[in-house]
Amino acid sequence: MAELNQEHMTKAQKEYLRKERTREMRQQLVSFGLMIFLTFIAFGLAALEVIPAQFTIPIVIGFAFIQVILQFYYFMHMKDRGHQFAKLFMLTGFYFALAFIVAFIYIVWIGAPVN
Amino acid sequence: MAQTSAQKKGVGSVIWEYLTTVDHKKIAILYLIAGGFFFVLGGIEAMLIRIQLAVPNNDFLSAGLFNEVITMHGTTMIFLAAMPLLFAFMNATVPLQIGARDVAFPFLNSLGVWLFIFGGIFLNLSWFMGGAPDAGWTSYASLSIASPGHGIDFYALGLQISGAGTLISGINFVTTIITMRAPGMTYMRMPLMTWTTLVASVLIVFAFPPLTIGIFLLMFDRMFGSNFFLVEAGGNTIIWEHLFWIFGHPEVYILILPAFGIFSEIFATFARKRLFGYSAMVFATVLIGFYGFMVWAHHMFTVGLGPVANAIFAVATMAIAVPTGIKIFNWIATIWGGSIEFTTPMLYALAFIPSFTMGGVTGIMQAAAPADYQYHDSYFIVAHFHYVIVGGVVFALLAGLHYYWPLMFATMLNEKLGKITFWLFFFGFHLTFLIQHFLGLWGMPRRVFTYLDGQGYNAANMISTAGAFLMAVAVIVLVVNIIMTIAKNERVGMDPWGDGRTLEWSLPLPVPYYNFAQIPLIRGLDPYWVEKKEGNGKMLPSESLTDFHMPNNSILPVVMSLGLFIAAFGAMFFPDGKDWAIDAVSGLDPKPWALPVLIIGLGTTFVAMGIRSWKDDLGYYVKKEEVEKDLEELERGGK
Repeated sequence: MAELNQEHMTKAQKEYLRKERTREMRQQLVSFGLMIFLTFIAFGLAALEVIPAQFTIPIVIGFAFIQVILQFYYFMHMKDRGHQFAKLFMLTGFYFALAFIVAFIYIVWIGAPVN
Repeated sequence: MAQTSAQKKGVGSVIWEYLTTVDHKKIAILYLIAGGFFFVLGGIEAMLIRIQLAVPNNDFLSAGLFNEVITMHGTTMIFLAAMPLLFAFMNATVPLQIGARDVAFPFLNSLGVWLFIFGGIFLNLSWFMGGAPDAGWTSYASLSIASPGHGIDFYALGLQISGAGTLISGINFVTTIITMRAPGMTYMRMPLMTWTTLVASVLIVFAFPPLTIGIFLLMFDRMFGSNFFLVEAGGNTIIWEHLFWIFGHPEVYILILPAFGIFSEIFATFARKRLFGYSAMVFATVLIGFYGFMVWAHHMFTVGLGPVANAIFAVATMAIAVPTGIKIFNWIATIWGGSIEFTTPMLYALAFIPSFTMGGVTGIMQAAAPADYQYHDSYFIVAHFHYVIVGGVVFALLAGLHYYWPLMFATMLNEKLGKITFWLFFFGFHLTFLIQHFLGLWGMPRRVFTYLDGQGYNAANMISTAGAFLMAVAVIVLVVNIIMTIAKNERVGMDPWGDGRTLEWSLPLPVPYYNFAQIPLIRGLDPYWVEKKEGNGKMLPSESLTDFHMPNNSILPVVMSLGLFIAAFGAMFFPDGKDWAIDAVSGLDPKPWALPVLIIGLGTTFVAMGIRSWKDDLGYYVKKEEVEKDLEELERGGK
């Protein structure tokens, strides 16, 4: 098990670290605010029925997609360095899951729609 | 804990050591013993099948028993023999090949092996508790929901437990290979065995969840009154087929990729040449892994998916021939012009190329969806998958057993007996399965317990059975060889094959429990070979000799697995005699003790998990002085 390296940082390093953390915090807050905002819009669209349902559905799905990306990249650190493998695994997993769902919808439940 | 001196230990303490071990080398031995046991069990079942089919109208096995035997043969060989034996070699080699002192999660490694062992025992207890599963290893839901008694429950629960173990081991290997490589061991310097283990483990991580879901749905249907596959209640049995094959097709690549890895090592070692086209081999391995997920419906061409779906899956299936072909040609190019040494592992490797290619070619024939309507459910299919699994995976397991035996036990298997095993097995294998292609084309369906006289199947089936007996004799010779080698116990030293290329052969034998006194520095592909040719034949250290950290042993993995084993009995007998249960079990005597057993079993597992979570286990440090003493002893012994 790696020992904790308690080396002293230089002043420049400390300042750099603080700046990085401030930036990180700002990004977290901005994405958090954005996500709440998107949720409110989606909720409002569905509750108030200002536009027809066939427009509401794709808009809500689109917002959901943006939220997923924000979640993964900003809250779950996929944007950071050293996460290439996690990224690769998630994207591959998404791809397979999507393929399976499409296959299930078309060839199990709808049943050979292209005959 | 640390057992470095050659003290005699009591039987009890050895057993306790193996029950609690978290050392990947000892876990490899556990996998080897348990996998070997199930391999023999599956082999006996295969012999029963061949005896039954030797002559027409045979009544050696009854029709029902025959179904149980074929189901258990397939299930045992895939889940309880081939995969654990591959895990044995992965555990024995991968941490040594990448220069690590253990795997990333030693505790989980132990949990994986014990879940597999308890799952395997549970599945095989079905023989003594009212009948084994009888719906085929694919356990299609239309059959498995209707199957009376508890056979299918043994299948579902046993595979659920051992499958959890496999998933845990897969995650463990991915993490180990990504995070624990020695300095200088870049991805493109990893030996092929490590690469194939990585890709196979990734496949496990992605492929086992669909199986887990499928089996959960089956469990809920059979034990807790749900309706996922009950057509009369609005369920759909095709969903099981999809879920099973979304798992099942990657599964065959999980088996074959480590086999490719073992052969790649053997070819390079005994041709005394660098593996030809290393980067193409890596690329092909990854590509095969990726394609493996896009082709599952080629097992279901006759289900009626429609021509477009069939065409897509047919083309995707044919595409897999390309990376596999790249591999075959690279192996041939590796031995081309090499200074070949015909050891037992090399014989298996050389025999593997034509045998596996024959299986691959029939695979491409079946990929053509219209033609597959002809081959489907005939002996042609049986011949095909035995050619790839026996000619590929089992050859690799036998080759790996001879090749890695000195690494695992510091002795050498007898070469003469090894070669006798090889020739018997090789001829027996082709005698058994080559003729089955023709049986299939002549119209003999698979999974039938007998056939009539005068259909033209008699001679071919007799030939097939004769071949099976040759293979059985080969395995008996192998067992004799193993017993003789253990009894003689002639120790071998470092690099016993003389031409070791990869890092694992640079270690003293038997390998010390901490593997590396100092983590080595890797200077190229085949690092040990690089040091032999460009250095002084010894690995350079990448760190100074200091204390280092090792994990403690633990009994908790056994307790957790035992808890699930007990819970499985509770779950299985829970629906007996309940009026909401499916017809298969609703008529049985009610078992009021089933629910308490389920709760006690799960409780045991959760308590053990709680202890693991809340009680800190920080491991221990191996002292520098101890390692120095070992190194001195080695120096004296080596002279």
